[in-house]
Amino acid sequence: MPKVKIPRKSTSVDMTAMCDVSFLLLTFFILTSKFKPTEPVAIDIPSSRSEITVTDAIKISVDKNGKAYVNYPSAPFRIQALTNMAEKYPAKYGFLANLSAKQKATFGQVETFGCDAKALPDLLNKKPDEIDKLATGIPMDSLDNQLGDWIMAGRYVDPKMRIAIKGDKLTDVKAVQQVIKTLTDKDIHTFNLITTLAGGAKKAEEQN
Amino acid sequence: MAEIDTSGGGGGKHGGKVRGKKLSTKVDLTPMVDLAFLLITFFMLTTSLNKPKAMDLNMPKKLDEKKQDVKESQVLNVLLAGGDTIWYYETSEGKMTDMKETSFGSSGIRDVILKKQKHVEKAFGHDKTVGDKTIVLIKMAEGAKYKNMVDILDEMDITSTKIYAIQDIVPIEQETIDNGGKVKAGEEVVRH
Repeated sequence: MPKVKIPRKSTSVDMTAMCDVSFLLLTFFILTSKFKPTEPVAIDIPSSRSEITVTDAIKISVDKNGKAYVNYPSAPFRIQALTNMAEKYPAKYGFLANLSAKQKATFGQVETFGCDAKALPDLLNKKPDEIDKLATGIPMDSLDNQLGDWIMAGRYVDPKMRIAIKGDKLTDVKAVQQVIKTLTDKDIHTFNLITTLAGGAKKAEEQN
Repeated sequence: MAEIDTSGGGGGKHGGKVRGKKLSTKVDLTPMVDLAFLLITFFMLTTSLNKPKAMDLNMPKKLDEKKQDVKESQVLNVLLAGGDTIWYYETSEGKMTDMKETSFGSSGIRDVILKKQKHVEKAFGHDKTVGDKTIVLIKMAEGAKYKNMVDILDEMDITSTKIYAIQDIVPIEQETIDNGGKVKAGEEVVRH
């Protein structure tokens, strides 16, 4: 009886299909991930146990020195808010109506802005990254509370938009309380504090 | 994993024309797949770690300031001061008792709140007319940081304290902290 010869097969597998799939996934992840927004100041947020995620919100950043910045969710939102400022408060911000289309487009590109409204027309002739460097914080004292006006301008764009406060760990709590007071004065009583997730402590009841 | 060329190559025996050797068009894609998966892993990990979380905060409306019946023994006053320290006190017959100092964490303020809760539960049982819950009043003294505020709100969640409020500090409270917790004689009355 003759021996049955088993034909030798090549061990290499065609990788083309796998390569296709993996690059498809790669493209998907790159496109869906949001890039970290550029900010005029680095803010080191505190940690908490809270696990609520916020996606779209008007974010008010408060840096270490107690300066406030506003971050609207998208470019069209920013431009609409700027228009609202001039329309809803003509006495105070009427000069913002004279901004050119180019200046408004520049405002749309600045993700987080923080400057006196009076300085805006000049600033918007510069490039977005230069504007970031010149941020001085939005005035929010009781005499000239521009922060409250910017928040209301955002609320006119979308009344259901959430408000979130993003403070630095080392911010003096008085600055944050001033922001909270600004919000409650505008009849906004529910908002979020942005934190990172910290593991550890369970509810006291669960431990016992 | 090189491919074995099975196409036979040029026939050397037959003399005649010299043909170029036919090369296989297959390329080994394994390293490319490796690289792609490495990048996928990288992007997945970095995006999910970067997501910020948020905590809800509800402030009371000014208009419907309902007066609630609150017994003073239900109330615990917590004052956040600089250097991550916490001062707390209770009131007795409208008078402020001496403040005690504590710190953040499980053996500090958490213990204080849990003890207070047990005490309130014992004193009131489940008497719905006065409310059987501990009320924590949070006040920010000079030098408190935002981190402290988030931490104490977290502590409220950990100890399941349902009723708490962030209030403005009263001058006498700041003075007492500066005085090391001792209440000065003559100005002991604190109203809520």
